[in-house]
Amino acid sequence: MSSDYARRHLRVGWWALLVFATLGLVLESLQGFKVAAYLDVSNETRRLMWRLAHAHGTLLGAVNILFALTLKASAPATMPGLARISGTLVAATILLPIGFFVGGVVFYGGDPGVGVLLVPVGAVLLLLALFRIARGTRNEE
Amino acid sequence: MRPFTGVRNTENLVLFAVALAVATGLAGGAFARGDRRVPEQTVTNRPIQAPGGSYISSNACRACHPSQYASWHASYHRTMTQVATPESVATSFDGVTVDVVAGEPIRLEQRGRELWAEFADPDRASPGSDPGLTPRRIARRIVMTTGSHNQQIYWYATGNSRVLGQLPAIWLTGERTWIPRRAAIMSPPGAHLSETAAWNGVCVACHATNGQPRLEAPFGSRPATTLAADTRAAEFGIACEACHGPGEAHARANRNPLRRYALHFQIGARDDTIVQPERLDPLRASQVCGQCHSFWEFADAQAERQANTHGLPYRPGDDLAATRFIAQPTKNLETPIMRAFLAADPGFVRDIFWSDGMIRATGREYNALIDSPCFKNATDPSRTMTCFSCHAMHKAGDDPRPVTAWADDQLSPRATDGSACAPCHRMADDHSHHRSGAPGASCENCHMPYTTYGLLKTIRSHQISSPSVQATLDTGRPDACSLCHLDKTLAWTAGALEAWYGTPRPALSDDEETVAASVLWLLKGDAGQRAIVAQAMGWRAAQQASGSAWLTPYLALTERDQYDAVRLIAARARKTLPPFRRDELPRGSAQLLLTPAGTFDAARVNRLVRERNNRRLVYRE
Repeated sequence: MSSDYARRHLRVGWWALLVFATLGLVLESLQGFKVAAYLDVSNETRRLMWRLAHAHGTLLGAVNILFALTLKASAPATMPGLARISGTLVAATILLPIGFFVGGVVFYGGDPGVGVLLVPVGAVLLLLALFRIARGTRNEE
Repeated sequence: MRPFTGVRNTENLVLFAVALAVATGLAGGAFARGDRRVPEQTVTNRPIQAPGGSYISSNACRACHPSQYASWHASYHRTMTQVATPESVATSFDGVTVDVVAGEPIRLEQRGRELWAEFADPDRASPGSDPGLTPRRIARRIVMTTGSHNQQIYWYATGNSRVLGQLPAIWLTGERTWIPRRAAIMSPPGAHLSETAAWNGVCVACHATNGQPRLEAPFGSRPATTLAADTRAAEFGIACEACHGPGEAHARANRNPLRRYALHFQIGARDDTIVQPERLDPLRASQVCGQCHSFWEFADAQAERQANTHGLPYRPGDDLAATRFIAQPTKNLETPIMRAFLAADPGFVRDIFWSDGMIRATGREYNALIDSPCFKNATDPSRTMTCFSCHAMHKAGDDPRPVTAWADDQLSPRATDGSACAPCHRMADDHSHHRSGAPGASCENCHMPYTTYGLLKTIRSHQISSPSVQATLDTGRPDACSLCHLDKTLAWTAGALEAWYGTPRPALSDDEETVAASVLWLLKGDAGQRAIVAQAMGWRAAQQASGSAWLTPYLALTERDQYDAVRLIAARARKTLPPFRRDELPRGSAQLLLTPAGTFDAARVNRLVRERNNRRLVYRE
């Protein structure tokens, strides 16, 4: 059971790393080719949002991998509420970077677009997942 | 694999609390760093930046308006006043000796981050000063600068409270050279120049945001060296709040994201916590610029004292004329207040306006605008010319030019592609009687000629007018045709205007019938006319229309003018010409006063020079 979740988070983690590392490469290309839609000072908010999407996406990919390794390391013990933790972490992995990215597509001066509303939702889910994981480790003693 | 070892509940809580404390500490530290933006309260030897009284400075605008902040930051408005640092000065101070003031070398030195100068004390010879009090040469720290576009002026700490003195030499950014400060001003030769306390008492009004002179007595009321000052400004340079008004209420209201997004999505009313000049009616919109770009005076001594303590009372959106006197000879020449100014200074109007009331000094464009037919005769606000008809204070997103090109004169794209007049004026193709695309076919070259002078150059008249030889005869103001067709007489211009537009041909003198108008102004005009023509001789369009070979001798002659400013302009114009070749001179051109031998018609040239208008001219630049 635990190993199923471990495999799931390994898959999610590595795919997230691939997607958001690729986004990083795209952003570097935009920087390298001095694309105005990304670099113009009027697009500072977009630049910030997309960089945050890249950073959060890759970091959350790594968190998923770490979580999978944690599950593997703690096997055969199981974490209570693992299904809910897993779902929450996956949702956070999607909502946080996507929220940042969409917030940078359309924006208003220094304010990101409404897509950024996904970010606080994702952030709450992430904190919830982290708290549950941290608490769950106690039960494995 | 070893089972995962957890921690106890209390340890969990402790770890969480530590993490929270670290995050809070980092955020708090960042906030405190950001808020420490004006570390100036300890500075005692110069004016300081002290936001307050609902002014919050441009730093507060940046987060929400990055694009507008960036274009303002790239503008010369921002750098109008700067604290002097090795980065903000336009030239090196590192062991430089400036020899432009005869017999009085200025030695510049950089001591760490500090800039110093050793020079002859400008106040030593000023009226009322005691020569025994100050040494002939003084060493002072350079603490502030004015300007960065055309020239940069340097201010030193006098040691007397926050009173500044002015270095006797300035840096020309275009020529990359030093000149004496007095040479940069259109003023009669030999006039003594000490500008001690001038920044505190005069410049602060427009070269800083919400400046407060806080001079203990009105500037000019007693010797500057005896004045103490506690001068301060909300911000140095012309910053966001100079044009949009104090921002404290706006920033506070818009900390609420729901309010911001409601404004983004245009839900509910407009944001009335800040002024958007372009949304004001044409008069009020232009007055935002006019608060500095106009010729104004305090209406009375009480107004001066009030502004001295609290800053000028005008705020964007207000009626500018309600709180100060805008001198406009076409409207208020006969008013008691104007009579009083004229009684105190006969040059009050004469040295800044042409005789028909058109402004002739740079930096007073509001005066020109409000007397333009496109403004004063307009009945529809949407079709009324304002400053924003041509100028954009923030570079537009669709403006393809680099920001440096935009910053040069802050023109909007429509003003650079010739479409600024099109919304109201649809002229026939042959209206200009010039080839399409030629300089003579552009609206501004005929209706906004370079007849306004200041800062060692001419700029376009901002009072829209049509070429008129009669106006030229009445006022002495060179007409647009003659400033491009430098080799033509006023008779030629009058003939063309009569033939093309039916303009009545005025009576002309013999010289005006037979000698090129530019030559007449250069030889017998006043210093302002000579400067205008000398600058035109360096204008490529005029050189192409008039031939350039004959210009060199005239510019060489003008380089001996008694006014420093005229000489400098002539020298700059001469550098635009190809090397002089006598065999290329148009021989026997009577209207250019050239003999068949390729020499000046000395008799006529000397006669015209003898007839020169030598009245003392002091531009209020």
